[in-house]
Amino acid sequence: MAEILAASADALVLLFSWEPALWDIIGISFGVSLRAILVCAPVAIVVAFLLTIGRFPGRRALVSMFNSLMAVPAVVVGLTVYLLLSRSGPMGDLKLLFTQTAMIIGQMVLAFPLLVAMSHAALQGAEKSAWETAITLGANPWQAMLTVMREVRFGLIAAVIAGFARIIAEVGCSMMVGGNILGVTRNIPTAIALETSKGEFVQGIALGMVLLFLALFLNFVLSFMQGKGELT
Amino acid sequence: MNVAVICLEGVKLRLGGEVLLDVARFELPRASCTILSGKNGSGKTTLLKIAAGLQPPDEASVQTDTGNFDWRGARPMLRRHSIYMHQHAYMFDLNVSDNVAYGLRKAGVPAAQRIERVRTALAWAGLADLEGRSARHLSGGERQRLALARARVLSPALLLLDEPTTNMDEEARQQSFFLIRRMVSEGTGIVIASHDRQMIGQLGDQHVHLADGALTTVDNASKPSRPRASGAAVQNAAEGP
Repeated sequence: MAEILAASADALVLLFSWEPALWDIIGISFGVSLRAILVCAPVAIVVAFLLTIGRFPGRRALVSMFNSLMAVPAVVVGLTVYLLLSRSGPMGDLKLLFTQTAMIIGQMVLAFPLLVAMSHAALQGAEKSAWETAITLGANPWQAMLTVMREVRFGLIAAVIAGFARIIAEVGCSMMVGGNILGVTRNIPTAIALETSKGEFVQGIALGMVLLFLALFLNFVLSFMQGKGELT
Repeated sequence: MNVAVICLEGVKLRLGGEVLLDVARFELPRASCTILSGKNGSGKTTLLKIAAGLQPPDEASVQTDTGNFDWRGARPMLRRHSIYMHQHAYMFDLNVSDNVAYGLRKAGVPAAQRIERVRTALAWAGLADLEGRSARHLSGGERQRLALARARVLSPALLLLDEPTTNMDEEARQQSFFLIRRMVSEGTGIVIASHDRQMIGQLGDQHVHLADGALTTVDNASKPSRPRASGAAVQNAAEGP
């Protein structure tokens, strides 16, 4: 126990000594995951909206598919993206394997079903009368869609935060398609895995603390935006 | 608004194999109040939503003074000229002023003009004191008046109200009646789906009844008459107030 406490104290010192290598890893982690969520979230929310409002054959099957895909392990997504991007794969010519772009693609694939499923649940909570009222007051379908999204914004923000939390902390996919290359594709989870396997716990704990601070911060942001969190 | 009268013809809608609507003719004249009665589940709401361009029928055509159109072709015109109000009017999660301003923003009305029109509309509905209040925190009567102000500010040719006085106390009902009468006198055509006998007596310039999918004209103080076998015409709907 004393050893863990000492390592944790060293981790805090390391974190606030602004060690460039450590902050490089943190920067890569956030850069990759933020780009992935920024590209992925708007598309996923629009897809969720179409699943909510649309009446077309196969709609329920699509909803079930996205719900099921939420549970796919990150390593399976990693393996699939690896096979697609590897030299002999169908997208091998793009030479994306072991780059940040490959990590972004992998994280988008991971986050997309979660974002669609959670956004769909949030949008289902909107009343149909919200959509009809917007349309009857002169909104075009695009404007009415944005109005309905605004009405359930807290649920959608929660979906985006959950999606971000999933990809910022995942290790399997980043390790496989990123390759854990220092200064290029080494992010927080892959660095923690590597340092732990070497028995170097201090850096691992320091990076773990960053993820914990992030989780707390995101929860505070969500709580703040949701106001009192009470029924009105 | 440039339409004097909108008329739905040959409205047919089947739901689950059952005929819900088979209305030969439904006139929606301006400056007049039509009461649409019928049992729960008779299709009143659906008929109003079809008239508002919100819900597609299986078949229908729309006749106006500018011509005859298929319902789908006429849908943008129906949406432009009519406003449908739900039984429990939906309030956006905005304050009272922004709820009234919603349609004006979508229509691209400049800010200065918008502010002025919202202020006038709120004064018209007696809600000027509540302009900064969240619309979700209003009483039932206030919500109804706000919904009427939100519709009136857009000067629709037609206003379609679905059971507007459900669960309202007498004072709130009379306030709503007063505003509805004012809108009729200003030239808006109003259709009210309602069972409310007092409303039928006080507001209705004409009364139509929906039963078994067909519309019949009701003479004052008499039972529904059925001038045609199926989907009877609303003969007197075009008469003014």
